[in-house]
Amino acid sequence: MQPITISLNGREVSGKQGMTILELAREMGVDIPTLCDDPNLTPIGACRICLVENEQNGDLLASCVTPIETGMVISTQSERVIVHRKTIVKLMLASHPDSCLVCNKGNTCTLRRVATDVGVGMIEFERIADAVEIEQLNPFIERDLSKCVLCAKCIRADQELVVVGAIDYFNRGFDAKPATFGDVPLEQSECTFCGTCVAMCPTGAIMDRGRSYHGTASDEVETTCAYCGCGCSISLGLKGDRIIAITPSKKGGPNNGTLCVRGTCASDVIHSADRLTQPMLRQEEELAPASWLDAIEAAAEGFKRVKGLHGPEALAVISSSTCTNEENYLLQRFTRDVLGTNNIDSSARLHNAVNRAALASTIGIMGANSDLDGLEQSDVIIVVGADPDASAPIVSYAIKRAVKYCGAKLILIDPRETGLSTFADIHIRPDYGTDAALLGGMAKAIVDEGLLDEKTVVEKTNNYDGLKASLSKYTAGSAAIEAAHLYAKANSASIVWGTGLTQHAGGADSVRALINLAILTNQTSGLYALEKECNDRGAFTEPLQGFSALEMIEQIEKGAIKSMLIVGENPILAFPDSGRVEKALSLLECLVVSDMFLTETALIADVVLSSSSFAEKEGTYTNFEGRVGKLNTAIDPIAGSLPDWNIILKLAEAMGSPMPFDDINQVSDEITALVGNESKSGPASFAPVDYVAPSDDTNKEYPFKLLTVSDLYSLGSGTSISHSYRLNKYTSEVYVEIAEEDASKLDIKDGDQVKIATPVGELTAIAKVSDSIPTGTIAIPQTLPTGSANVLFDITLDNETKTSLAKTCNVSLEKVVSNG
Amino acid sequence: MDFPKIKSEAVADWERFRNNQKTHILVGTATCGRAAGAIDVLDTLMQKIEQRGIDAEIAQVGCMGHCYAEPLVIISKPGSPAIIYGYVTTGMASVLVDNCLLKDDPCLEFALGALEENELIPTIYDMPRFEYENRLILRNCGDIDPQNINHYIVNGGYAALESIFKMTQEDVIDQIKKSGLRGRGGGGFSTGQKWEITKNAGGKSTYVICNADEGDPGAFMDRAVLESDPHSVIEGMIIAAYAVGAAQGYVYVRAEYPLAVETVQHAIDQAKDMGFLGQSIMGSKFNFEIEVFRGSGAFVCGEETALIASIEGKRGMPHNRPPYPATEGLFGMPTVVNNVKTFATVPLIIENGADWFSAIGTESSKGTAVFALAGKVVNTGLVEVPMGTTLRNVINDVGGGVPHHKKFKAVQIGGPSGGCLPESALDLPVDFDSLKEAGAIFGSGGMVVLDEDNCMVEAARYFLDFTQKESCGKCTMCRLGTKHMLDMLQEIVNGNGKMEYLELLTDLAEDIEEGSLCALGKTAPNPVLTTLRYFHDEYEAHIIEKRCPALQCKNLIAYYILPDKCERSCDACVGVCTAEAIFSGKKRIKVVDQDKCVKCDTCVAACPPEYNAIIRMSPASSVPETEKRPEKAKK
Ligand SMILES: Cc1cc2nc3c(=O)[nH]c(=O)nc-3n(C[C@H](O)[C@H](O)[C@H](O)COP(=O)(O)O)c2cc1C
Ligand code: SF4
Ligand code: SF4
Ligand code: SF4
Ligand code: FES
Repeated sequence: MQPITISLNGREVSGKQGMTILELAREMGVDIPTLCDDPNLTPIGACRICLVENEQNGDLLASCVTPIETGMVISTQSERVIVHRKTIVKLMLASHPDSCLVCNKGNTCTLRRVATDVGVGMIEFERIADAVEIEQLNPFIERDLSKCVLCAKCIRADQELVVVGAIDYFNRGFDAKPATFGDVPLEQSECTFCGTCVAMCPTGAIMDRGRSYHGTASDEVETTCAYCGCGCSISLGLKGDRIIAITPSKKGGPNNGTLCVRGTCASDVIHSADRLTQPMLRQEEELAPASWLDAIEAAAEGFKRVKGLHGPEALAVISSSTCTNEENYLLQRFTRDVLGTNNIDSSARLHNAVNRAALASTIGIMGANSDLDGLEQSDVIIVVGADPDASAPIVSYAIKRAVKYCGAKLILIDPRETGLSTFADIHIRPDYGTDAALLGGMAKAIVDEGLLDEKTVVEKTNNYDGLKASLSKYTAGSAAIEAAHLYAKANSASIVWGTGLTQHAGGADSVRALINLAILTNQTSGLYALEKECNDRGAFTEPLQGFSALEMIEQIEKGAIKSMLIVGENPILAFPDSGRVEKALSLLECLVVSDMFLTETALIADVVLSSSSFAEKEGTYTNFEGRVGKLNTAIDPIAGSLPDWNIILKLAEAMGSPMPFDDINQVSDEITALVGNESKSGPASFAPVDYVAPSDDTNKEYPFKLLTVSDLYSLGSGTSISHSYRLNKYTSEVYVEIAEEDASKLDIKDGDQVKIATPVGELTAIAKVSDSIPTGTIAIPQTLPTGSANVLFDITLDNETKTSLAKTCNVSLEKVVSNG
Repeated sequence: MDFPKIKSEAVADWERFRNNQKTHILVGTATCGRAAGAIDVLDTLMQKIEQRGIDAEIAQVGCMGHCYAEPLVIISKPGSPAIIYGYVTTGMASVLVDNCLLKDDPCLEFALGALEENELIPTIYDMPRFEYENRLILRNCGDIDPQNINHYIVNGGYAALESIFKMTQEDVIDQIKKSGLRGRGGGGFSTGQKWEITKNAGGKSTYVICNADEGDPGAFMDRAVLESDPHSVIEGMIIAAYAVGAAQGYVYVRAEYPLAVETVQHAIDQAKDMGFLGQSIMGSKFNFEIEVFRGSGAFVCGEETALIASIEGKRGMPHNRPPYPATEGLFGMPTVVNNVKTFATVPLIIENGADWFSAIGTESSKGTAVFALAGKVVNTGLVEVPMGTTLRNVINDVGGGVPHHKKFKAVQIGGPSGGCLPESALDLPVDFDSLKEAGAIFGSGGMVVLDEDNCMVEAARYFLDFTQKESCGKCTMCRLGTKHMLDMLQEIVNGNGKMEYLELLTDLAEDIEEGSLCALGKTAPNPVLTTLRYFHDEYEAHIIEKRCPALQCKNLIAYYILPDKCERSCDACVGVCTAEAIFSGKKRIKVVDQDKCVKCDTCVAACPPEYNAIIRMSPASSVPETEKRPEKAKK
């Protein structure tokens, strides 16, 4: 296409057809002030600050929305332009409140900056007082719409980026404002408090709500969010040694300008008063504060003693998927070289082992092999056993954008209704644990109906005949056949899956079944295994002959393991059967725990080491896409804490075998040198699945199936995020979803207190009667503000992957207290 | 399709309707008629006729344009001329049945005129308005039964459609271009050019949208056309669709027009049944469907990009043009958006030729203009005159001038964002360009006549209040700028204005005109700019003297009872005063207690015309010193 040439401030410049005047001006280094423009949003030409003059005909044009046209004579600084810009800013300021002076937005306010830049001078308009009430009911977002300039960035962020649809324009004329449908408070709307609008708002109209945080950030540090497997790029706004604001990085990252409520708010844990500010030692049954020297010494002594008495196999280490790659690497070396055992495992196994097993044996990869952009560009997306709204918010945004704005078709496979249900073209609701059969049925439909290029499949893959033979036992219903057609005919199809698939018995088989689908249709580059914690993908390593984390619990009970180092993990809550785990851990002769908080596990430790948060250290996390996110030190370690990597080095030294590293960068270098390409190459292999239907094992005593689900406001093992006062304030109670029919049978109403019990444990929760789950099932979040659903589960290991099956179990349900 | 056969059947139907030996009664039941009670009149007529056992046929027709005289009834008895009766009440309807139908008394006292030459009474065509009127767009309105497609066909309907299949798309576009037709939705863009751009945009699909949003509260010509002659619009849309290659069309009607929605839907169904719409139209290879979209939107939804957003299921808000709908419209595809009247004109041009059409009107504005005449004018209603007719002719001759011997002051043209033109502008020929030059716009075609009792500052404030509230709120200039203008006007009518305001108003108005995103903002300041231009003295009187020359602005007037005119024994004003502000003073002359008076104006109406003792005065301070109310004796 011919470039288009225009005159810009007297200079001949050319740009591509379709480019706006603003884009071309920016390319040419000409500055035009803007308020409503944002590179991530559709331009709308609302604020009119960006007006320029076409001197050819005297038209004033909003440069952000006007495409360049041959022959334009554009002036960005003509007298008329200047007058107009001033008028616009004056109009805005004339209805701006006096509280502007004390606004937390301070020098980051774009309105103030533009006002200074254009030099408004005296405002001749009468002031219009805008009696707007400040909305501050929820703990996350505060809105003072008297400061709103109606740039509609928040509206567009909500609709175009996170696709929530909580807010839109409301009212007309002077009363127009961004508001929820019916102008109800945010918490009564669809709002997820993701904070994307907060970050976008050019003024102080929408602010992050942290009562203790006042003032404006004077510095920003880019780093990586630690609160799920998405690894969003974030920017920590600092004032002195405090983190006072968290916004999406301006440099993109997987999240491209968006965040979720955990990303924006959960980091208040960093400055939580509950944090450990010094190590602790058990003295006469009680944990008492201790110096670093004494604590490290005591830990090393403990390990040495046990090793001396029982040999190195009596030692074991559990690391965490919230530790960095570097820390995990150090721990591996520490365990093998310093302690002299192979007994190291990470909580990543609980989340990740199933995917590893299935992916490695078929197409030889470690996790998702494409990025979120690829997902967004797919024309057909299958989501199975995942509720990314809660577990991986930015994945959900990408899926919703693909459906809403790019016409992608969504096939949702989930027994429950989730936030994606309304976006789905096909929603199949299989019984729990029967996904493999459904996926097998789809594969059968693809083969039977010739929806594949069989010749190429035969040539390029292994074991097609094996697969074909295995498919005979499946049948496909009409929805599955329709889904198979959609998927097989797509140009670019993706499958997204999560714990709903992997945490069932035979989870790896279910994953294999869906990989088979992808191989059949040559869509293997669209496989997205979601990860739960920030470094699940990086922290997972195949144990070398040692015991897996849950096996270690059994080994303690057998007396084989006598001492343990646990870094950044809280097994009592994170592992199934909390009671049993706690009992086992208290049998240890020496338990050393490194954590930011005095967790349930730390409470029974002999040595507690106070560790630092992700904002206080360097390192890397590997997100679910396989993208390596860099951590940068934003603030010095909070008084009395040390980063885990530092703790490990100190321990090694105290054990008498110092490790050859002075700082974390040396560790990264060594890892880079060691690790080659993650993935194997070679033809993809089908993995026939020997599916066994789950038997209905509910019984009279425990007649309900309990399902653990992800919750947006509480994630992880409760190690860290449960200390976020804002998240806690929002969800301080445990809710259990109960299907309408069951609720009415048991005479349970919304808000009643109910008891859920299994042979191993029980908990009470508030009933939430819901039509989105199947009858006979109840659902509670895996992580609860006050504990964990794991109290209800026993330790059942998946034969193949030694991971736990803490997705469903049989429970009893009874009403305890009626709600009013 | 056998069009000749359809036509001959239509003729037979029409003959039955019009020319047989029976008595025929037509009642105008468009929304304007209904608002005046036409349905009750219709019911009464039907009941009475049945009771009396009269052999007569009653039919409903659309709007005849004489809205001031609604409800309208036409009676044609074999052997006597068809007579049109106005202001018909149910009582009059009974009388008509008993006297006119049962006996042979034509009830001339109710008649507006005859519809054909006769010895008895003059025809309505002898009324001066018919000298100026030329009903093209309203050609069938009030004459035919809008529910009956045959009535349309018999009057030349669908003949144009039949003829286009012998033409290429380019031929059709050429004809429309050559005719000089400009859009009747206000903007006045060349319709042929718009179609050409749309056709050449080469989209995967193309759409045709009829804009029947008509959000201007004073305008109702689009409604009248849809309710009275829906097929003329449908035929125009089909021709447009053929020319641009569209397969799908929408009629965007505001939901507040239920009768129009129903009538258009009915007409679409009929046209489909007969093969004028749908697959293989009139036996050709051309397919086109029309859907009625009910807009519950605001005034701004009439703006074409907002309208398109609304059909797409989004909030009806304008977006920047370019891209224009012609290249990127509905669902991102090339889209023709034309007004109801534009479409209704199209078949006439195809049928009679571009030259015929371009002979009507002025150099730059061809054809006719339809106005909704309202305000201080005798004949309110719909008026259609050739472009170029002077405002004076329209207001005085067609409209019958200002009633009650009051003095004409201004005419507001183009709806709320039009301009107010003074007496001196009355000899302007109405067309797109001369109106624009004078500071008004063609706009919605609303035409409100204001007389000496109308304050021009208040008029400007009133219109701006409407547009300010209807601003979609998107862009700063329109949302905040108009608000500041409105506040200043409010201050001025309240008597708190400052002279600086006048300059500020002008500057701000110009900024808003230049800097707003859509035409709502760009035209909103028109009433203010034109009144500042033509009635500057009124602004000054308000600000400097605190005087409202029209005696309308409440804050600047006071009520005064002329002592020498007050008939002391009459207590009419005292009794009606809502604020108990009037008391009997010395010698029982009535006095207004200025502190209590709430300026409700009831006393003026109550004072018997033979005394006419109560007057409004401005500034309020000009009221002579009056007697104080005696302190009430405390009990
Ligand atoms: C605020 C606003 C309201 C409008 N309302 C209408 C309307 O009610 N009907 C209409 O035909 N055009 C309306 N228009 C003009 C349309 O945008 C568009 O120009 C017109 O429908 C094109 O049809 P035409 O070419 O036949 O005039 C409006 C424009 C604005 C700015
Ligand atoms: S609240 Fe902020 S982001 Fe939203 S419209 Fe107002 S100024 Fe823009
Ligand atoms: S989506 Fe995950 S990584 Fe992104 S902000 Fe939320 S918790 Fe953090
Ligand atoms: S000019 Fe007014 S109506 Fe038009 S886009 Fe701007 S705010 Fe909306
Ligand atoms: S930046 Fe262009 S109008 Fe706001």
